[in-house]
Amino acid sequence: MTLSAMPGLPVRKARKARGPVRLVLERLGFLIAAMFGVVTLSFLLVSVTPGDPARLIAGPMASNSQVEAISQELGLDKPIVERYVDYMGGLLRGDLGESYYSKRPVTTEIFEKLPATLELIILAVLFAAVVGIAFGAIAAYFRGRAPDWISRLFTGVFQAIPDFFLGLLLIYVVFFLLGWAPAPAGQIGFTESTPPKVTGFIPIDALIAGDPALAGSALQHLVLPVLTLGLVYAAYFAKTARATLGRALHSQQVFFARAMGLPERTVLRYALVESRTTIVTYAGVIFASLLGGEAIVERVFAWDGLGAWALQGILRLDVPVVQGMVLIAGAITLITYTLLDIVVGLLDPRIKHA
Amino acid sequence: MHDDVFAPRRGVQMRRMLRQHPGAALGVLFILVLLLASLFAPLPYDPMGIDGGATLRSPGGEHWFGTDGAGGDIFSRVIYAARVDLSLALAGTVLSLVVGVLLGLAASSKGKGSERLVRGLDAFQAFPLLILALALVSLSGNKLYMVVVAIALINVPRFMRLLRSEVLSLRESRFIEAATATGASPRRIIFRHLLPNVWGIVLVQTSLTVANAIVVIASLSFLGIGVSPPTPSWGSMIRDGAGNMSSGEWWIAGFAGLAVVLCVLAFNQLADAIGDRTARTYR
Repeated sequence: MTLSAMPGLPVRKARKARGPVRLVLERLGFLIAAMFGVVTLSFLLVSVTPGDPARLIAGPMASNSQVEAISQELGLDKPIVERYVDYMGGLLRGDLGESYYSKRPVTTEIFEKLPATLELIILAVLFAAVVGIAFGAIAAYFRGRAPDWISRLFTGVFQAIPDFFLGLLLIYVVFFLLGWAPAPAGQIGFTESTPPKVTGFIPIDALIAGDPALAGSALQHLVLPVLTLGLVYAAYFAKTARATLGRALHSQQVFFARAMGLPERTVLRYALVESRTTIVTYAGVIFASLLGGEAIVERVFAWDGLGAWALQGILRLDVPVVQGMVLIAGAITLITYTLLDIVVGLLDPRIKHA
Repeated sequence: MHDDVFAPRRGVQMRRMLRQHPGAALGVLFILVLLLASLFAPLPYDPMGIDGGATLRSPGGEHWFGTDGAGGDIFSRVIYAARVDLSLALAGTVLSLVVGVLLGLAASSKGKGSERLVRGLDAFQAFPLLILALALVSLSGNKLYMVVVAIALINVPRFMRLLRSEVLSLRESRFIEAATATGASPRRIIFRHLLPNVWGIVLVQTSLTVANAIVVIASLSFLGIGVSPPTPSWGSMIRDGAGNMSSGEWWIAGFAGLAVVLCVLAFNQLADAIGDRTARTYR
């Protein structure tokens, strides 16, 4: 039993002081190890689960020999170890395999879909941070009074609504009843065509192509999906901001600032600085969890992004697509966490690095 | 707060907690009524039945919650769906609880190994877990038990992390030291001293897990994974009504979504109430 170390609590080894270079190197080392783990696990989970992609692709009417032929073509008849070695070998060359359906390289598809998802996530995190911190700050400042109650009511409700259902509600209210937002049919309207690709971000590309009307339309189409994700995650933000700011408002700096007779605005600023690292960390975590977490919302709004692409891959048992998604999302998440660790660690000298 | 260690009997505790948290009391009541109704109540219409003559009726006297595109009665379907949705959520929660607590206890040492394990958990949670859960259930051919496994996959790491951090901080406390000094065996310390003290936060996490599981199940069946038609589930009803939202028939997805929101709210409120109590007793 692992608790054996408990009695008598051995003398703790003094922690070696660690310089920033060592911290960065250690985190990068862990990043590589974790990526290897992520790749292996995703390969295993997706390959070992029962369910036969070849049969699904062949359709219900196919004979056994047809299924076998497809299985051979996709390399599914090879033993799992060989497939794993093939996959890892391909990975080292930057090759994630081909989609079973479109027959195009998974990497190409990922880079095509990534901008649409990134613009959604980044805007949603920004919205969530601004609204959430504002609500959380108000709740913390007026703790136990009416504004706190109202803010907590909103957070409670928005935390309980599944994001895809909130998206549908917004479609009903803002599009059907009010007619303020365009139809939920993707990044641009039915009759409009995508601008020539430069950055991959449609509003920016439209501006580059000299078509402000199209850029405007693209921005309008962003409103509802961003609002959907933003509101749900603003609730999480508010909860965290309330807790951290509440603690910060009772910190010694704040008491001291008040005792000095500093204006309330300055005091609040001190409290915000005090809780800065927690909130930055939280933004990073939310950014990471949105990647993949927003897939269903993309589907609701017919958004042609990474999430919807991965969902389609899942529903069609398109194994390379699913693996590609898990890999790219895992990679971006791990990189985000590592950056956060390093940034927060370097910014805040009080944090010890375990 | 030593007087509180000898807490009143469970039933008294429970009643006191519910009185102080009317939201939680309402929530528990709602869940119980919903569960009992789904199991025993005579429904006005067959939840699996369709009626080609009464499609897309708006809510009214004949169909309280209206009907869907195939003429199914929304009220009967929403109530009936609680059977499969709530029981899957509870099953997933129990699995997460048992596996998570056991693994969490095992990981609660101070050695290098346990720290690495936590790092490994970090990496695992870096996965887009919802995507992974969807992929698991879909690739396994939509087996219902895989839904339960998927819920555990998402929630076991949370239990482990929680239990580990709590046990690690409890181990520093006086009464564990005292127990160790009197020569209590590790097993006795775990079961008599550690577990009873982490029970409160484990219960909080359990309640939150049920809420999370309900959302996961709804997400799965919204995508047509997991619970398959004609068995009604909230997620698949939201899916049925998704397209109707932009043409104004809000009630098809609306009531099913409302059921999900109310259940999640109920379990979140319950978690808050238990959390408050725990905080008062142990800290």
